[in-house]
Amino acid sequence: MDKVIEAEDLTKIYTGGVKAVDGITFNVDSGALFGFLGPNGAGKTTTIKLLTTLASLTSGRATVLGYDVSKDPDKVRRSIGIVPQDLTIDNELKGIENMLLAARLYHVPKDVAKDRAKELLDLVSLQEAANRLVSTYSGGMRKRLELIVGLIHEPKVLFMDEPTLGLDVNTRKIIWDYIMKLNKEKSVTIFLTTHYLEEADALCGMTVIIDKGKIIAQGSPDQLKEMVGGEILQVELSIEKDLSNIFYSVNGVKNVKRTGKSYSIKLSEAPEVIPAVIEGIYSNGAKIKSISCSKPSLDQVFLEVTGKDYREEETAQAAMHRTDLINRRG
Amino acid sequence: MWDETIALTGRELKKWLRTPASVFIALFQPLVWLALFGSAFNPTNLIPKSFGPVIITDQMRQSILQDTFANAPNYITYLTAGILCLQLLFNSAFSGGSLVLDRRFGYMNKLLASPISRSSIFMSRVFATIVKGLLQATIIFVIALFIPDGLRLGSSFGAIDVLLLFLTLFLLSLGFSSLFTAIAIRMTKWETLIAVVNLLNLPLLFSSSALLPISSMPDWLQTVANINPISRAADVARTLIIQGSIDLSLLASDMAYLFAFATVLTVAGGIASIIALRTE
Repeated sequence: MDKVIEAEDLTKIYTGGVKAVDGITFNVDSGALFGFLGPNGAGKTTTIKLLTTLASLTSGRATVLGYDVSKDPDKVRRSIGIVPQDLTIDNELKGIENMLLAARLYHVPKDVAKDRAKELLDLVSLQEAANRLVSTYSGGMRKRLELIVGLIHEPKVLFMDEPTLGLDVNTRKIIWDYIMKLNKEKSVTIFLTTHYLEEADALCGMTVIIDKGKIIAQGSPDQLKEMVGGEILQVELSIEKDLSNIFYSVNGVKNVKRTGKSYSIKLSEAPEVIPAVIEGIYSNGAKIKSISCSKPSLDQVFLEVTGKDYREEETAQAAMHRTDLINRRG
Repeated sequence: MWDETIALTGRELKKWLRTPASVFIALFQPLVWLALFGSAFNPTNLIPKSFGPVIITDQMRQSILQDTFANAPNYITYLTAGILCLQLLFNSAFSGGSLVLDRRFGYMNKLLASPISRSSIFMSRVFATIVKGLLQATIIFVIALFIPDGLRLGSSFGAIDVLLLFLTLFLLSLGFSSLFTAIAIRMTKWETLIAVVNLLNLPLLFSSSALLPISSMPDWLQTVANINPISRAADVARTLIIQGSIDLSLLASDMAYLFAFATVLTVAGGIASIIALRTE
């Protein structure tokens, strides 16, 4: 089977009228590491809930491994693994106990479960800590355990909801390595949501960007970055003279924005174009005060498609979320 | 379904046994009640030594006591049966507690996304609570025997009485833990649970024959106390402790009542829970 997840016009309206997911359509190929990217409140967790049978569809259709999530929830549940956003490992149990309990809930025979647990614990370097209570683990260790508990029944698809949320940069990189390792060595299709652009960039072969319940862009991170164009060269010159036309005449320059002595130049293929731009500057008698080149990021993709800065969106959402919490506490 | 229920029950009990403090405190409360009610509020002391010119002898006091308290040789013997029921009620009241925490920490979502029978989520809490309750009841029973002037068993008390006593306590606990588990099935706040438990616990206790005989209550309360399953369980436990199961027909109607109580609440609680756990 090539398509592991097929979602067609997926819609979820919660009681109370909140449209969390608004008619999204996408497919996930077998063996993919698929990224579902968007700011907080975009509808990522709801989409995961729909695909993992935790929420019911308002309209649309979704199949996971060919099983319809509304008609065949039990078959879907049997064949998927979940790594939820919260740390759902039981703190008061040992690492190994958490794994064997999960195995029992999925009816994995005990001896098979023991072998698999050992192998998986090795894979994320937790073999030494396996017999300790999880309450003694660090945040990173807990997350690692969380990753493999969802794999004890060898699911074909693993859903991860913001797997590195709240982890420090180093731990995040370590978790990334493990996620890629699981994807390759266990050949499990991974559906991952994240609001970290660099995470989708580092991990995912295919990415969907979702905002306010709608898909706004879709493709590999490279394709998406292609949408905004190539790299961006920032230069500050020593003179006031407008060199925009000189820059436009260089082959490979797509766009020039000038603010006083500073220019932001969008390039298509950077390596060959940058020297030509620099030559143009010197031949016009100007000197470079500073120069830097930035790679296109999904940040810019988001800006391009929505006209909003991703970070601003984030902060606004976070602020809304906070007021919401305050109101609820009342 | 059973395998999942057993696995999840095991989880509950493992966690319980790993917190010795909770095991100890759960035992402490009924023992305090036994000590306070059994000694400080011992109603035997309320019978005066003399009434005007009439001297009330110890023998007379004993006979008044036995008349009032279901032929119990002393008040603690009367009370122990009630305290066992109290302990099971208080224990059952928090049977849904771990559900609230599981919701809070997201473990519930993981359970719901796994291919387990929804009823196993309900039954595992009920069973774990019953096991905890009966273990604690055993300890309280043994301690009551060793208190000075404590529990005095009837001369014919034997294995069959122990069995019937545990069956009674089992039924009471099954009913109440089903009720309280179903109440907590969708709760997300611990505070709500405590409020509900506080609201129900003491009225249930004081409107029963657990601490004092029903005959000492006003008429309206007697009506309530008669339908209160705690009264029925306490009465059966008392009969078994004081007289033994010589005459099973004395116990039959109360046992049947408790059986019906447990069955109805388990079935109703189970169905309500399955409905409450359905996908939103």
